[in-house]
Amino acid sequence: MGEITLTKIKKSFGAVDVLKDIDLDIKDGEFIVFVGPSGCGKSTLLRTIAGLEKVTGGEIEIDGKRVNEVSAADRGLAMVFQSYALYPHMSVRQNLAFGLENSNMPKAEVAERITEAARMLEIEAYLERRPGQLSGGQRQRVAIGRAIVRRPTAFLLDEPLSNLDAELRVSTRAELAALHARLGSTMIYVTHDQVEAMTLAHRIVVMRAGKIEQVGTPLDLYNTPANRFVAGFIGAPHMNFLAGEVAELETGTATLTTAGGHRLLVPFSGHSLSVGDKLTIGIRPQHITLANDPGSLKVKVRLVEALGSETVIHADLNGEKLLAVVPGQKLISPGEEAHLSVAGAPLHLFDRNGLRVKGS
Amino acid sequence: MSTTSLTDRLGSLLMAPVHLLMRIIDIPLRAVQKAAGIGGMAAVFLAPNMLIFGIFVLLPLVINFVYSMTGGTAFFISERNFVGAEQYQRLFTCTNYLDPMSCQEDAFWTAVGNTFWFVVLQVTLMIGVSLITALILNRDLAARSFWRAVFFFPVLLSPVVVGLIWKWILQRQGLLNFGLYQFGIEPYTWLTDRNWTFIATIGVSIWAHMGLYTLILLAGLQAIPKDLYEAAEMDGTKPERVFRRITLPLLAPNLLVVVVLALIKAVQIFDEVYVLTGGGPGTSTLYLTQYIYETGFASTLRNPGLAAAASILMGLVLVVLTLIQLGVGQRSEKKGKR
Ligand SMILES: Nc1ncnc2c1ncn2[C@@H]1O[C@H](COP(=O)(O)OP(=O)(O)OP(=O)(O)O)[C@@H](O)[C@H]1O
Ligand SMILES: [Mg+2]
Repeated sequence: MGEITLTKIKKSFGAVDVLKDIDLDIKDGEFIVFVGPSGCGKSTLLRTIAGLEKVTGGEIEIDGKRVNEVSAADRGLAMVFQSYALYPHMSVRQNLAFGLENSNMPKAEVAERITEAARMLEIEAYLERRPGQLSGGQRQRVAIGRAIVRRPTAFLLDEPLSNLDAELRVSTRAELAALHARLGSTMIYVTHDQVEAMTLAHRIVVMRAGKIEQVGTPLDLYNTPANRFVAGFIGAPHMNFLAGEVAELETGTATLTTAGGHRLLVPFSGHSLSVGDKLTIGIRPQHITLANDPGSLKVKVRLVEALGSETVIHADLNGEKLLAVVPGQKLISPGEEAHLSVAGAPLHLFDRNGLRVKGS
Repeated sequence: MSTTSLTDRLGSLLMAPVHLLMRIIDIPLRAVQKAAGIGGMAAVFLAPNMLIFGIFVLLPLVINFVYSMTGGTAFFISERNFVGAEQYQRLFTCTNYLDPMSCQEDAFWTAVGNTFWFVVLQVTLMIGVSLITALILNRDLAARSFWRAVFFFPVLLSPVVVGLIWKWILQRQGLLNFGLYQFGIEPYTWLTDRNWTFIATIGVSIWAHMGLYTLILLAGLQAIPKDLYEAAEMDGTKPERVFRRITLPLLAPNLLVVVVLALIKAVQIFDEVYVLTGGGPGTSTLYLTQYIYETGFASTLRNPGLAAAASILMGLVLVVLTLIQLGVGQRSEKKGKR
């Protein structure tokens, strides 16, 4: 079991409110990822779930039982720290055994669990070494191993891969996904890295300044971001935003004009827009193509990044920045004029408050 | 802009004499370098320091050794006669080696015995007290820096001041008796009771020096990552086990340094005790350094040779302790590198 329900969680440090009314239901066996800019409260939220921080308000339930007053040890959760927090003076084996010995578990069972975890993580070869004699990746495995041997109802991981180099991070990411599939326990994972979030998560929780901005599957967040913040945060390079205005409304279509007077047609079936409304139009860089026809957006090219498989074009559209990622290699250089087309691109409309326009 | 140029100008004004001095020094140094070569310059730069070390440490050491081989009451070495190992022999002449009173220099052996018990008790208590204080100060305690300062303050006092303060507290008409009197307890002559003075010298020296050791231990405690404690908390580790299995082993290098420093300092105990008790009552708080001082300078029948011999013996003990400290330091350094 590993169902975790958060209701109106509040946390303040002195006068600073770090978490503001967090509501979240985490299902058993789910892989949940918290993302958000630095300082938004991801770690704090994870630590309140762990029981390392007391909440200021609200309720935490695990499998239907209120655990606000339950100590960290008795919540049945295991945490993997960003720094790994391995005991430097103990061997890997002692590190793995330490937590189990607290509950007076029989020696034979401790040994058995260590052997099993070591085999699963392929750390058998250095059980007798100390953490100081291991590489970063090996240490990271030991940290995960220390969580596994406890057979927790849920794993809490705070940026577990952030101390690894890029290559190792990719392979460990895949192993983590496999581990989750194998163990089937709930995992709550904090990261800065949206690729990690997109690849690992069943559902992503996007946070900003102590609030949840949106919860959804990775593709939900990518395809229908609930607001401008999520739209800008998910996806790399991040979404282009252009100022626009509603020019015409017909059934099924809205015509928008950009600051430069370009007209864009958007499928629209709601009632929340009226002619003259000011909007923000979001376009993903990958959805913009190079074009020749005069009806497209005429831009000035500022910078071209040729990555081989694709070309990133930084352009200027009547004073607004526009980024396009086009496949392949293009003969185009800074200072030139170019035509970019957004025909067929999914356009995201956000109102004055940055919320997604209903029906768009 | 104008402020930076002003500070710049002020800076160059202040630096002008330095630059001038450097240019003047440059001339002879160039000449020296031409003579000594680049490699020889290291020796040239070390020379002043080594000279001071030689004059104030090495030379006295050698002279002290020479004194320990001479006899008589005269101070100047030219007026003293060579006696070989006689002074050492005198220190070790006993009829019964198990009874200090049977020795020719019974005061020396009394001082050795007193110092031994003082060192054992004082260092043990010192470690305990400063460890507990450091553990308390390491908590999230209100006005933590204030308390830290309170415990460190006595370290800054001159030992004579420490002695005087406690004399003022412990003497017959002192603060302690005054306080007890308020509660209807009869005043007591603390400083004339053999047991109490011994305890007082231990207590006072702990009070005077614990701040330094507390600080060293506190630094060690703060260097232990908080994460380790949180990991232990997640595992439901009992506080006693956390202390024994995490705090103590990770504090071990600092603890060893503190033990050795405290040992060396305790063996050398003198000034505050001399001011507080003068070694009394009787010889109950006569420690080794005071014996040496009195034998060599203060007593009417002064014997500088005997004092020199005793201090050579004490020096040997300190050398052993220092070597242990160096060994410990190197070991913990190696550990830190891993
Ligand atoms: N013990 C504390 N006392 C006071 N403020 C704190 C404390 N811990 C965290 N904060 C504040 O709470 C806010 C959220 O911190 P938190 O560590 O949860 O951020 P985060 O989202 O994990 O950031 P990052 O991605 O950089 O790790 C920050 O503004 C931080 O300064
Ligand atoms: Mg964090």
